[in-house]
Amino acid sequence: MSAEGVIAQRSPSVVLEVRGLVKAYPGVKALNGVDLEVRQNEVLGLAGENGAGKSTLLKTLVGLVRPDAGEIYVRGQRVRLRNVVDAANHGIGMVFQEQSLVPNLTAAENIVLGCEGPAIRRGFYRWATMRALAQEQLDKIGSTIDPLARTDSLTFAERQMVEIAKVLRIEQRTHNSPVIILDEPTSVLEPSEIETLFEQVRRLREFASVIFVSHRLDEVLDVCDRVYVLRGGQSVGEVRPADAVAGELHRMMIGSESHEDHYHGSAVTRDETPRERLTVRGLAGATFRDVDLDVRAGEIVAVVGVHGSGREELCKALFGAVATTAGEVTLDGERLDLTGPRAACAAGVGYVPAERKVEGMVGPMSVADNMTLAKQRVRCAGPVIVPKRQSDIVDKWISRLSIRTPGRRTAIQRLSGGNQQKVILARWLVGGDVRLLLLDHPTRGLDVGARSEVYRLMRELAGTGVATLLLADSLEEAIGMADRVVVMSDGRIVAEVPCPPDRKPSPLDLVKEMV
Amino acid sequence: MAPLVDTRPARSRLRRGVSVRDAGPPIALLVIVLILSLLSPQFRTMGNALNILDAAAVLAVVTCGTTFVLLLGSIDLSAAGVMGASSLVVAVLVENSRNNLDLGTLGILIAVVLAAALGCVSGLLVVLLKVPSFMTTLGVSAIGLGVATLVFDGVQPGVVDPSLRSWATGRLLGLTYLTWIAVVCVLLAWFVQRYTRLGRYAMAIGGAEEVLALSGVRVGPYKVAVFTMAGAFYGLGAVMVTSQLGSGLVQSGASYTFASITAAVVGGTLLVGGRGGVLHSTVGVLLLTVLTNGLVLIGVSPYVQGGVQGLIVVVAVAVAAAPLRHRNQVVK
Amino acid sequence: MSAPVTIRPSADAAVVKGGPTRSESLTSLMPVLALVSLVIALAAAKPGFLSQPSMTAVVDAAAPLAVLAAGATIAVLCGGIDLSIAALASLSSVLLALWLPTLGGLASVAVVGVAAAAGALQGAAHVFLRIPSFIVTLGGMSLFSSIALVISGAAPVPVTDDGPIRWGFTRIFDVVPSAAVVAVVVVAVLAVLIKATPLGSWITATGYSEPAARLAGIPVDPLKIGAFCVSGACAGLAGVLLVARTFSGGPTMADSLLLPAIAAIVVGGTAITGGHGGLWRTLVGALVVTLLRVGLSVVGVSAAYESILYGALIVAAVALTLDRSKVMVVK
Repeated sequence: MSAEGVIAQRSPSVVLEVRGLVKAYPGVKALNGVDLEVRQNEVLGLAGENGAGKSTLLKTLVGLVRPDAGEIYVRGQRVRLRNVVDAANHGIGMVFQEQSLVPNLTAAENIVLGCEGPAIRRGFYRWATMRALAQEQLDKIGSTIDPLARTDSLTFAERQMVEIAKVLRIEQRTHNSPVIILDEPTSVLEPSEIETLFEQVRRLREFASVIFVSHRLDEVLDVCDRVYVLRGGQSVGEVRPADAVAGELHRMMIGSESHEDHYHGSAVTRDETPRERLTVRGLAGATFRDVDLDVRAGEIVAVVGVHGSGREELCKALFGAVATTAGEVTLDGERLDLTGPRAACAAGVGYVPAERKVEGMVGPMSVADNMTLAKQRVRCAGPVIVPKRQSDIVDKWISRLSIRTPGRRTAIQRLSGGNQQKVILARWLVGGDVRLLLLDHPTRGLDVGARSEVYRLMRELAGTGVATLLLADSLEEAIGMADRVVVMSDGRIVAEVPCPPDRKPSPLDLVKEMV
Repeated sequence: MAPLVDTRPARSRLRRGVSVRDAGPPIALLVIVLILSLLSPQFRTMGNALNILDAAAVLAVVTCGTTFVLLLGSIDLSAAGVMGASSLVVAVLVENSRNNLDLGTLGILIAVVLAAALGCVSGLLVVLLKVPSFMTTLGVSAIGLGVATLVFDGVQPGVVDPSLRSWATGRLLGLTYLTWIAVVCVLLAWFVQRYTRLGRYAMAIGGAEEVLALSGVRVGPYKVAVFTMAGAFYGLGAVMVTSQLGSGLVQSGASYTFASITAAVVGGTLLVGGRGGVLHSTVGVLLLTVLTNGLVLIGVSPYVQGGVQGLIVVVAVAVAAAPLRHRNQVVK
Repeated sequence: MSAPVTIRPSADAAVVKGGPTRSESLTSLMPVLALVSLVIALAAAKPGFLSQPSMTAVVDAAAPLAVLAAGATIAVLCGGIDLSIAALASLSSVLLALWLPTLGGLASVAVVGVAAAAGALQGAAHVFLRIPSFIVTLGGMSLFSSIALVISGAAPVPVTDDGPIRWGFTRIFDVVPSAAVVAVVVVAVLAVLIKATPLGSWITATGYSEPAARLAGIPVDPLKIGAFCVSGACAGLAGVLLVARTFSGGPTMADSLLLPAIAAIVVGGTAITGGHGGLWRTLVGALVVTLLRVGLSVVGVSAAYESILYGALIVAAVALTLDRSKVMVVK
């Protein structure tokens, strides 16, 4: 395609255009044909649930992820973005959610980092020039930060300003108005700071285009000129805040109907009088507090909440892997020791971590070793491993969970994701003493078939009386699987929604509580 | 809704002021000087003060090199070997008791360049083979000791060269030339750290290497340059030791690997990288030297030194790491 | 330190991959191949090399090194490193020489016990103070050397009656050096202990992936302390063996064994990143290192090259065995 032909077609006010972007990871299509248009001097909002493809899309735009298919046009010219520098040379810069500043350098150095220009001559610093260069950028956004302050002495909001100033350096590099991506910029800010940020964003619009991403819909509606809604890796609609209300946006994000019928499998049959198994009273930690929670034997309780709601930490805290500062937890009436994972294991708590490859499995170790890692006694007589016992119990669970593996001695890293996950689950089941299962995104990165097997397994376990706390990958998964959904927001439990098989709430009901 | 709990890392409100951590080592130095002055009348003499500065000179130069490597977040265990090699090389190249060579300043230069080359090898191995620095530098140290043993060849070369000998004996304004060399080195290293891209990027690599990469900076060459520069400092330190000892010795740098790391860490140049700097480390050097000097003067066996250093470094690292600790953190 | 942008490693392939690749099997066989080719090369270079006295001498020389390296291997398998072993062995030799006259046969036991306690102390400092193991043991190295120098008065301590430790330096049936038997027994006992009990998978899991090990409820902290304790005990035993053959203890006697010991570990194929490796590998590594040293003198190369050889060997072996998937940022 010739560049001239393209320019002729595109409207001049479009600075960035994305057509049919596709990015597939094994088992999941993060982007499935996304189209997007960013116009000159506008604030474009991006809304979507976790897993809708927002972050993959942004990473593609700054060259951190290479798309499998689709095109990106900057001012009508097709571009290939191989890395962040490439993107910056085309005028696209991103303010990262986790800030990307060097903490022990000055603000000025961070602003000019990588393209110091006249601030460094022949390897020697010219601090005055550097200060002036940085000041120029900071002035654009009206920031009063001392450019020579060390970055780690600034507040989070101030650091964000530095980061925006850094992105604005792109303007000098390209001599064109830049496209600035703000990825969840408000998640850690105080309300007053958010107001300041919005002023900055409006100021940026004077000379740049902004892509604004936030999970708080009210914010998106407040500050954006247009909002794209992403769902399942596709742009499903465009909204003008002037005539939209949050509820409408919610509906677009979630979709009208649920396609995932496999959640609503056979109902769990359990014994007549379900006992309280896990009781949490007033539990507090670094990112959550005042958590009261009950899970009965055989019950699946899903905890939902946006990123930063504290639910991941809560889950880890119940396993002793994150420190708590207050509160009481009992399991079947006995006080649960939260001093470390070992104590939790001994008490019959099992934990399936979200980061399977890092925290779950030991890649080069065999299926048998991985499966018996937490409950060594099942393969031992006294302190000695008995090969016969090991092969019996491991083979039994390989067949019970239908784990597809060449054998029990195969390294777990050679299995597919779903089978790896089943081995990790089996790790807690081999002992026969698991009473509470903490499942942190147990289906993350699995394909549909593997997912439904994990769901079936969860139901079976619940049927045997295991209490399950589930951090689901999506709201549909939470609603489909759980008997009860607990909503967390800003570290607290804010709502509890019963979820019996016959009266499932809609995802919309939950989203309202979450934000 | 505002976050209920402030999850942001605690930070000092002091902007460009002096933090407690920065002030700690100098205060400790003062306190130790005061205590030793009270305990020992010998300690509080002018002559002893000059002795201390003289004794600190070599360590200060070596520590300049170590500091930059620590700023990267790496570690350098090669000082002993690099210094051994340099010491022998300079001893046989200047006017000496073993051969007829008399290269003078050129000999000194060659020795320093050799040391820089060994440092460069460490850096290249770290960057190209991705071997952790404590392993590469341990290996390079062994290579340096081997080179030293080869050059030594069973006969100790004595330094005859009068100008090199005068480094340790000549005085200017009451201080030996060695002390002045150390002062110049520290100032030079401080300048590099503060006013050059190399120094600032070394800081940045220790602070957040991935951010540099994200900003389009290739960090590899800077790492190699830092290891090379460290080697050069070790080489100069070795020449100074050789001048002090009057002959080239394989073991001339043996104690400096550990002493320089201890000094840097005690001064506030943390092992995690990106924290501290040349001036911090120099305070550490003085602290260590004063302590050694004082302990000897109040009658403690000189062999205890190493033990004291060993304890100090473990305590200093533990104290420095304390605020950064969290549950289930992986420490290798 | 958190990366601002973490690109999640691409999810796994959905299919089961094949067995170990050829290069993987080759790497694991490398130490043995190196050993065999060294023996062949030396036999060719020096006709009498395969004779019984010459082999006995080699095996005997390798024994203290093997014991020293075997203990440290466990620390390396757990993902740490012990740089204090040589200094601790020197200190042990001094202690043994000092205690032999009064304690007699019990002196060896006492020395090994003290060394084990010193190792455990370092392990505890590493675990509880969260200090990297190489710095704790570097500090330990300096501390132990200093203690050895002070209590020995910086001079060798002669042993007049070596009766109680003669077991460490005799020939069984006039052929087999007892030190070699000790080395093999130590390695065998440790290897069996690891293989037959859950300790093996605990150590492997901790070395490969400490977060996963903790989240599986493995007692990682006691395990690491235990590893350093064993490492210390082996250093003590190596000290005893050295005294038995030199009839004296010296404050710097074993210091020169640090590099060969680390070389033996990594040449054997134990990855410095933890998890991968084994004790038998270290035994092979110790033999390779000893043969290389012997080889140098056979070929007529100056002993000065020994140190250069160790340095190069360590870097090369680490580079070959390194698990690069684990080191994102090399420090």
